[in-house]
This record gives sequence, structure tokens and C-alpha cells, in this order.
Amino acid sequence: MDRQEIENLIARVALKDRAAFDQLYDRVSAKLFGVCLRVLNKRAAAEDAMQDSFVKIWNNADKYNANGLSPMTWLITIARNTSIDRLRARKKGHQDVNTPGFELVSPGPTPEQYAVASSEASRLSGCLDTLEEDRGKAIRGAYLDGETYSDLAERFGVPLNTMRTWLRRGLIALRECMSQ
Amino acid sequence: MTQTPETPHDDDLLAAEMVLGLSSDDDMIAARHRIATERDFADRVVFWQERLTAMTDRIDPVSPPARVKKKLMAQVFPKQRVSILQRLWLWQGMAMASLLFAGYLGVQLLEINTRPGDQPTVLAAQLVSDTSPLQVLAVVEPIKHEIALRRVSGSANEGRVLELWAILPDQAPVSLGVLPDSETTRILVPAELRSQAAQITLAISDEPVGGSPTGAPTGDVLAAGAMSEL
Repeated sequence: MDRQEIENLIARVALKDRAAFDQLYDRVSAKLFGVCLRVLNKRAAAEDAMQDSFVKIWNNADKYNANGLSPMTWLITIARNTSIDRLRARKKGHQDVNTPGFELVSPGPTPEQYAVASSEASRLSGCLDTLEEDRGKAIRGAYLDGETYSDLAERFGVPLNTMRTWLRRGLIALRECMSQ
Repeated sequence: MTQTPETPHDDDLLAAEMVLGLSSDDDMIAARHRIATERDFADRVVFWQERLTAMTDRIDPVSPPARVKKKLMAQVFPKQRVSILQRLWLWQGMAMASLLFAGYLGVQLLEINTRPGDQPTVLAAQLVSDTSPLQVLAVVEPIKHEIALRRVSGSANEGRVLELWAILPDQAPVSLGVLPDSETTRILVPAELRSQAAQITLAISDEPVGGSPTGAPTGDVLAAGAMSEL
């Protein structure tokens, strides 16, 4: 995906440019639908989640510029969080993830920082694979399946606090691996 | 594995947990507040957001069905529901004539609009010319496939009649018949023209009594106008 192209489209959508919204949909809907489908695992639910995501994109495009995320990260985060909210809405103790991207206010990284960040980001998969197997699985479960600490504790058959410790240690290892 | 008593906990991990959606309600509220007020913390969240999103790199794109885009566009850009009466009113600024015309079209056309859901496309044309006072409004009634006509000004020349023609791009005019003397009339759109009604230009020619003897316009064109969507 061409970062500049997507960024320009989002900027035009922020100005309520209908043609740009149409183009943005054509450009990124397949990726976002793939993400919704991965999280929700059901076509009908994924279709609804993607539609919701694009409504949020239309309504919040003006907040994109200030949030410091790369455009695809922002778009994918909206689709992922919307899907996870739907997944959790069925469960007890429902809690919104609610698209943190909307609230970010820090100025974006410079292009150089961004280049570094994106090459680091691409290292994530390799780093996840170097973690102890369960820790990697837990982090993936939280991100891709919306699992909470109690879901994870149940899945791995460990007490909640132990789960929390595992996962945090996993995140620390991940951070070290990615900054090497 | 060895159990460590203390749980590692720092801002960076709070940010990562927030991105993963693992924060408790209280932590989430606190984190939102800190994002808005603390630059460093917001940077931590962006850091994790960028990196954890890489987990979606391996997810293949899947083309969504076309109906999703249709539904989305209908949701984001709802069609403005303007009644046909209002559309007639606004059309060409011909308020008075249009209002009379709507009266002539009758309840049935206006009723179409009271049904929720699909808004029918209503085609209309204003037939005029620079050289003749003749002015006629035409509206295609979408269900019965009738063209409702109202002569707003002008009339047939002495001893002559007005004949209505439908002209499709690059095709010869098709006669829709001689117009009666009355101000209003309805003419059925021939079945073969219905699917292309939006491309029709209507024209009225000056013809001998009984209409054109040749099947093509023989006299002057007194008024013409292309269909447009109301």
C-alpha cells in the first residue's frame, strides 16, 4: 500500500469528499474485510463490522492527521477494534476497546522515524516466534481474538495473576527483540 | 518456569495492554486521559499500535461482496427524501405551472413518493424554443409509463396541429402522436422506448391536420427539450 496515496485519500475524506471515500473503500476494503473476518470468523458479522468501520472512518477522518499513526495502522486498528468490540459484546463483562487511534494526540513521527518504525514493525512476527510458545500465543490471542486476561488464564489453565505476569514478560521480551 | 513474585509494570506495558485491549476498565479510563495529556505516554501507545498491527500483515485481503459497499454508501449518504411535489416546485423555477401540473398528475404520482424505501426516478422535460411562444412541460409517470404533458403557453398555428416526437441519440424521431387542443394530456411511452426514457429528447413540430404524412417531422420544430431527472 502506498502510504502517501492512502494518506491523501484520508485527508480528502476528512473534507467530506465523497469520491475520495469511494476510492478509499476500493483501495483498502479487502484488507479491512480480511481483518474483520479473521477476528469474527463469520462472514455476516465481518460484513457488518467492516461497514461500521467505514462509517467511523468517514466520521473521524479529520482526527487522523493528529494521531501519529501510519494510515494503514489507523485503518486496520479501526477495523480490528470494531470487530473485537462486536466479539466481546456477546460476552459477559463486555468492555470496549474503542479504537484508541481516535484519541491519540501526539504529533506524528517524522518520515525518518516512520521508516525506522515500519521496518521495526515488520520484525514483529519474527520476534513473536522467538518468545516462549505460550507467551507468543497469548499476545496473538489478545490482539487477534480479543481474548482478555481471564479468557487467557482459562485457556492456559493458570491463575489470572500468573497470566498477567507471563504476558507482560512476553511484551518486555518482544520490545527487546524489536529494538535490537 | 520460575515464578517471580513481583509483576513487571511500567508505562510502556500499560500502553501495550491498552493497545491489546487487556486493560481493566479503570486502567483504560486512566490511559485515555494520559494519552490526551502526556506526550510520552501517547508516543508509547503509538509505538505499540504500529508494531502490534504488524500481526495483521499475514492476513490475506478478502474482497467483500458488492452489496456491503452499496449498504455503506446508502448509510453514509442517505438519499434526500424530497417529495415529487417539491421537486416539481424547484424544477426550472416554474413554480406556478409546476404546481398546476402536479395537480394534473394527480394523487397517484405523489403517492409513489409516500412509500418508504426506493425513491422513483422521475424524468421531466421542459419543451421550449427561441423562435416560438410554445412551452410545454412533460413528466414521465414512472409506473404507468405515461408522459403527462401540460401546455404552459402558445398553441398550434391556425389550421395546423402539434405533433409530439421522441428522439433517441443518433436515431430518427418516433412519433408519439398529435396533441389534442386541451392544455393537458397523457401519452403512453411506447414499450421499446421505456428502457431508454432518460435519453429521450421530446420535440413538438408544426404539422398539417392529421399529423405528418411521412412519418417524420415535416414542419418547423416549435419546442424541444431533453429529459432530465427531477
